Amino acid sequence: MRASAVSGLVFANANDKLLKKLTEKRSMASVPFGGSYRLIDFSLSNLVNAGVTNVGLITTGNYRSLMDHVSNGIYWDLDRKNGGLHILAPYMASDVKRFRGTVDALNAAMDFIDRCESDYIVLCAADVLANVNIGEAIQKHVNNNADITIIYHNGMIPANREDAMILTFDENDVVEELEFVGSSEEEQNYGIGITIIGRELLSNLVLDAVEKDLQNFNRDVLAKKIGELKVIGYEHKGFITLMNGTSTYYKAHMDLLDRNVRKELFNRERPIYTKIRDDMPTRYGIGCEVKNSLIGDGCVIDGIVKNSILSRGVKVEKGAVVENCILMQETTIKANAILDSVIADKNVVITEDMVVKGTDDRRIFINKNETV
Amino acid sequence: MKNKKTVAMLLAGGQGSRLGVLTSKIAKPAVPYGGKYRIIDFPLSNCTNSGIDTVGILTQYKPLELNDYVGSGKPWDLDRSNGGVHILPPYQGLSGEGWYKGTANAIYQNLEFIERYDPEYVVILSGDHIYKMDYSKMIKQHREDNAACTIAVLDVSLEEATRFGIMNTYEDGTIYEFEEKPAKPKSTLASMGIYVFSWDKLRHYLTIDEANPESSNDFGKNIIPLMLNAGEKLKVYRFNDYWKDVGTVDSLWDANLDLLNPNIDLNLADKNWKIYSRSNSEPPQYISDSSKVENSLVTDGCEIYGDVDFSILFENVTVEEGAKVEYSLVMPGAVIKKGAKVRYSIIAENVVVEENADIGGDPQIVGTDGWGITLVGANLNIGKNAKIGANKMIVEDVKEGEEI
Repeated sequence: MRASAVSGLVFANANDKLLKKLTEKRSMASVPFGGSYRLIDFSLSNLVNAGVTNVGLITTGNYRSLMDHVSNGIYWDLDRKNGGLHILAPYMASDVKRFRGTVDALNAAMDFIDRCESDYIVLCAADVLANVNIGEAIQKHVNNNADITIIYHNGMIPANREDAMILTFDENDVVEELEFVGSSEEEQNYGIGITIIGRELLSNLVLDAVEKDLQNFNRDVLAKKIGELKVIGYEHKGFITLMNGTSTYYKAHMDLLDRNVRKELFNRERPIYTKIRDDMPTRYGIGCEVKNSLIGDGCVIDGIVKNSILSRGVKVEKGAVVENCILMQETTIKANAILDSVIADKNVVITEDMVVKGTDDRRIFINKNETV
Repeated sequence: MKNKKTVAMLLAGGQGSRLGVLTSKIAKPAVPYGGKYRIIDFPLSNCTNSGIDTVGILTQYKPLELNDYVGSGKPWDLDRSNGGVHILPPYQGLSGEGWYKGTANAIYQNLEFIERYDPEYVVILSGDHIYKMDYSKMIKQHREDNAACTIAVLDVSLEEATRFGIMNTYEDGTIYEFEEKPAKPKSTLASMGIYVFSWDKLRHYLTIDEANPESSNDFGKNIIPLMLNAGEKLKVYRFNDYWKDVGTVDSLWDANLDLLNPNIDLNLADKNWKIYSRSNSEPPQYISDSSKVENSLVTDGCEIYGDVDFSILFENVTVEEGAKVEYSLVMPGAVIKKGAKVRYSIIAENVVVEENADIGGDPQIVGTDGWGITLVGANLNIGKNAKIGANKMIVEDVKEGEEI
């Protein structure tokens, strides 16, 4: 397949509202994750690892931190003369006010879709935390001469995800029904927000949907075309988390403390790339105690850290105790402070001797740049 | 080509033969350091931080990995359309160009490169040292002194002075004599191998030196005495901060462990003087329930299940359950399997130390006589239960149970 045969389109603001506190001043795509990453890293790396080198990033708002992170795409090798990373920021056009749904978003990306000259487009929601073999899915799409391929996972549908589509297959493995049920009592085959579609087909479907004033691409357009178009599925079997709330966000972090999850998510064959920050290696002091924790470069640890995830540049001073926490970039825990079940956003300072304790079902969230 | 005030020329062709198996496949400046750096990161980052954006890197010995590493110069912000970083390997020409015969000859063969920028000053650097230095201060002194050449010096002990090129100076820092490794040093000002030349003087004396068939075309041995004899004004620039030559296995180990010493001021994360490096996206490091990590530097991609003390672990190192790493450097991708012990050693890239192998010796136990750091070369396999003592250099696989 020629290099430009497939392009990617990423929805940066997918389900922003489900991670309210974290997306107050940023998009879903730029929510920090796993010590060194932002959620967008997974979408971009999945695409790049599948050989997709032309990617449009659809943003609707709050995108300063996202721009800062993705820059010109260099960290994903997307700083290209041909193709590369295109930021599709909203612009003031008389006909588009605020995106009401994915149809509006795709309509705003119409220039990108029409100009990219690819045969296929991979649509990705940025709220998917998984290492997905999109390359294999594209191959299946091409081999089966499909119109649309939906990447799905078999499992319980996460709560609050009314947008999750349930796939039912006929005897030829072609999708015969797409349902939106919100949640269900049993394991289902549900779409994970990554769809492969012919470029011209996508263009026609979007134009038609705009004309009919439809809003949701999956629900109002895709689901209505079942039977008419050849829609197939590609199963993603491994680890996956669809972001649907702070507790899922927290749990996904704790999942990373499992060696097998790390092996899957940070697959050596399909690495997850992120922005390089030029930190020093992490420094473990004399008398520090670190157990079962995931720690980014540039930290200085002199205290106790257990069952926690520390991003780059976090400082834990002497006598401080950090347990069951997620501490984001540049957070400082001063001497003898005690933290349990806390999610601290970037640049938080916990002052000396301070005690902040959440519980298993009520974790405490500390906003960016706050001093406690 | 737009003129540049300063061009830096970085001598990176040395083999560093005293580093043994560490430099059997790579040039010395490409030797890993400090968890995620290579030696060349220091002069390159110093250049960027000093405002020098045009750097020629003279390569000769095993340049492949070094060339790859430097690449477009992006990690050091040296990917410029005007200036930037340029790899300058030896080349063939019509008038006898070829292998670089000495440090001065290497620069001589690249006069054309410097000519393109027609600078006022040329800074000559080497890729062998760990230090943070603001070259712009040295250039400023050079300009104010109106010197032909300024040489950075370190005040060393009288004993150490016998191992260095020594500058004998008048009180005002004017050099009147240069002595290479003097048996009876008259001064303790040791050359750091860092020179600032006024461009016209450099060109002039390199050309004279080149015409002399007797010359070994070396800055210390030939150019400096030549300029002194001609009555040029040569000055020293005193440097008082951390500087270490990493020429031997022991000194490389030392310079790395200096990063763990709270009394040594070598902060590589200093926001005002960052040391940049080319690094990959690796997942964060994982420290397990069964491990104990203290007084160490650990880098992204590491998975630690055993004990690590007084050590530096580079990217993607695995230390399995019950394994112990003490007073050692473990370079990228190495695996220390269950129950293995590594102490006072340098384990090079991608080495696999099989279960219960035992490497290196503690000077307090084996005694300091004949003691030294044990070095295991890249990509080797150290078999199960193998035992390797102190002060060994391992250049081939070690079989299961073998004792060395």
